[in-house]
Amino acid sequence: MYWRYAVRRILMGVFIYVVIIFIYSALFNTVMDQTLNSQIVEQVNGEIMKMSQVGTDPEYLVEYRLRRIGELRDLYHLDDPILSRIFWRAIDTLTFNYGKSTVMRSFEGETDVIKIVLERIPNTLMLFTTAIIIDILIGVWLGLKKAQKAGKTMDKTTSIITMGVYGLPSWWFGMVMIMLFAFAIPIFPSGGMNSVPPPTTFFGRVLDTLYHMALPIITLVFIGFWGRAYLTRNIVLGNLQEDFIMSARARGIPERSVLYGHALRTSAPPILTMSLLSLLASFSGALVFEGIFSWPGMGNLYWAAVQMNDIPVLLGNLSITTLIYISGIVVLDLIYGFLDPRIKVGGKA
Amino acid sequence: MNKTNLVAKQLKDFWNEFKQVKFGIAGIILLILFIILVIFESFLTPFPEASTRWRDITYWEDNPRSVPPVWINWFSQKDYTPTEYIEDLEYTEQNISGPISILNSVIEYQYDYDVPPVDLIYRGNFKGNFSLNIVLERPDGNKINLVTKSFSANTEKDFRISLINESGNNVRSFARRYVQNLPPRVNINTVLFSQTDGELFSNPTPLNGTYKLNINLMKLTEETVIEDTRLVVSGSVSGWLGTDNSKRDVWSGLLAGIKWALFIGLMTSAISVSIGVIYGVVSAYYGGIVDSIMQRIWEVFINIPLLPVLIVLSAIFSPSIWSLILMMSLFFWVGPVKTVRSMALQIKEETYVEAAKALGASHRRIIFRHMIPILIPYSFASMALSVPSAILYEATVSLLGLGDATIVTWGQILHDAMNGGAVTNGLWWWVVPPGIAIALVGMTFAFLGFAMDTILNPKLRTR
Repeated sequence: MYWRYAVRRILMGVFIYVVIIFIYSALFNTVMDQTLNSQIVEQVNGEIMKMSQVGTDPEYLVEYRLRRIGELRDLYHLDDPILSRIFWRAIDTLTFNYGKSTVMRSFEGETDVIKIVLERIPNTLMLFTTAIIIDILIGVWLGLKKAQKAGKTMDKTTSIITMGVYGLPSWWFGMVMIMLFAFAIPIFPSGGMNSVPPPTTFFGRVLDTLYHMALPIITLVFIGFWGRAYLTRNIVLGNLQEDFIMSARARGIPERSVLYGHALRTSAPPILTMSLLSLLASFSGALVFEGIFSWPGMGNLYWAAVQMNDIPVLLGNLSITTLIYISGIVVLDLIYGFLDPRIKVGGKA
Repeated sequence: MNKTNLVAKQLKDFWNEFKQVKFGIAGIILLILFIILVIFESFLTPFPEASTRWRDITYWEDNPRSVPPVWINWFSQKDYTPTEYIEDLEYTEQNISGPISILNSVIEYQYDYDVPPVDLIYRGNFKGNFSLNIVLERPDGNKINLVTKSFSANTEKDFRISLINESGNNVRSFARRYVQNLPPRVNINTVLFSQTDGELFSNPTPLNGTYKLNINLMKLTEETVIEDTRLVVSGSVSGWLGTDNSKRDVWSGLLAGIKWALFIGLMTSAISVSIGVIYGVVSAYYGGIVDSIMQRIWEVFINIPLLPVLIVLSAIFSPSIWSLILMMSLFFWVGPVKTVRSMALQIKEETYVEAAKALGASHRRIIFRHMIPILIPYSFASMALSVPSAILYEATVSLLGLGDATIVTWGQILHDAMNGGAVTNGLWWWVVPPGIAIALVGMTFAFLGFAMDTILNPKLRTR
């Protein structure tokens, strides 16, 4: 039964992605038309420059220019009615056909938006997943401790810190951390992914990257785990009031094994998925964070594209970000369905 | 029971319980504090127009650039000169001959610090012709002719003289009397406020005492008017939170940002939570196909990564604060929908809703008069909890330089700090306070929201 749920969930995810791309396409329709238009004119002018060097008849050049622009406009459906333009733009986006950047280049000098974005993805995922794992480990551990001693000093103080951190911008904390640990007490690099020049050996390179990852990860984890702990505490505390816990206690099972054996086992699925879900929500926050640490990921790309006003890169990056985000949610739902027998047997998708 | 009475009773009970939660009370106190700061904003800042003229460089030109706050004097070994405004200068007028008359004023300035001010600025309004001469008499008896300059204008004009800039040559020749070889770059203000010994340049000792600034204004025509003169000691520390690299007072900017933070946060959360609650109730109330469609729409919205969308939208359409609030509301409403829907499904089955239906009440009446009021406490909790994220999102969009340039927000101050190299140069007074302000407002509403949450879910309190 699980595979049927899984297939339905994945199809739903694909459907939602398609709908969102259509929404984007409608939202950004005019802007993209302008960008495409100027790109076409630029491209055709370039072609004519080359032909005029060969010595082609000027009248033919004029005619060629008009014809070529018409062809390209046709290719990008620029003369079609607005609804059809929106449709074609969405189809292009769905097939990863994001076009070319206006200013930015990939690390290898390519102008294809897809290439610029693709080389950033691993960096973002590397930083983010490492932070997630550490974050959840600390968060769940602290949450259990809090639930165990609910209402005591430790629980109260950490809860207050949680609320203090609640509205704290992670990127601001990053700025302060850089100021403290990269300039005032220089123990960490201030940003980037590798030293300049990077180490030559593979092992040295890995170590160097880890060293550069340390400060952003410390910052992300420090901002993140409080909320995780609070969430865990609430879920575990809710379960501790269930009847089977009462009966376990009544049977004289030690408190420790009641907590870890009974309460944590039933709390695990919601803790895991809710932690992952809220972390996924912090994914977009972490994007801005990358700019502060000049980490060459997708977030930094937003930053740079905004500065250079490179609209195709912004939109391409947005489409891919959305794809990753939705995939994340679908995967989490699949895990949740796998862990939760009620869904596994065939509940509502 | 009467419906309004029921709601009133519910709110009263809620308040009675709320009073029990300590951090809830702390939240209310903090909120009142912020509101007081907003109301008395113009009295609490030396720059009442900070909010409207934040990007007007002429408004800030007398301040020193990138200097720390005044209270660092309490912690540092050396005392820094704070910025001072000496206004309402009094002049004695003396007629010389015919239309020419001389105005004279002596300003006594007590210098008890170790680090000299950055500049001395003399300024005012004038019309007509006059010439100006300012002589500084130091505590050790030395007199230095700082500046001699003439002005003429047919209409009323501002004049502004930076004494440190204008007196360069005079001060250099004064220093040459004591030190043979001047270094290539002479720090004029250090020379003016230090003892004239051999170590004037290598290791200057501050010369404390009363400095007399002798200002002579010679009016050349009878119609000449000189008004509104003042002396600004542009200190080496300034204001409660220092200044940024555009000479702006950070404290004034921070104060001006409170109202925008509250406005953005409350407005966004009020709009979005209202939409979300109505959406959830409607979805639950009608059920069936309506519910299915509404839930699918909700699912689409929940799958949009908000921050990147906001960044791209702001980058392309360069929005005002209003459209930013609107855009955020457009994505924020999804938050309360699921919980509201599940609560509404229960309320729907209550007997009084059934009774209202039996009596022939309209759908709208049932939804707005009977169902939504029950959800008010929950709505407040969820509004309070979504205020910090709205502030955070605005700050983040502003950090990228995409904010509304007609107002001052904390995010924009941090954007300027980021661009102005505050992090690399260690200008902590420019980076730390705006972030703490964001965190404090966030904490205020988190206190309120979590307190309400605790009451609404009594399970969470203790075991």
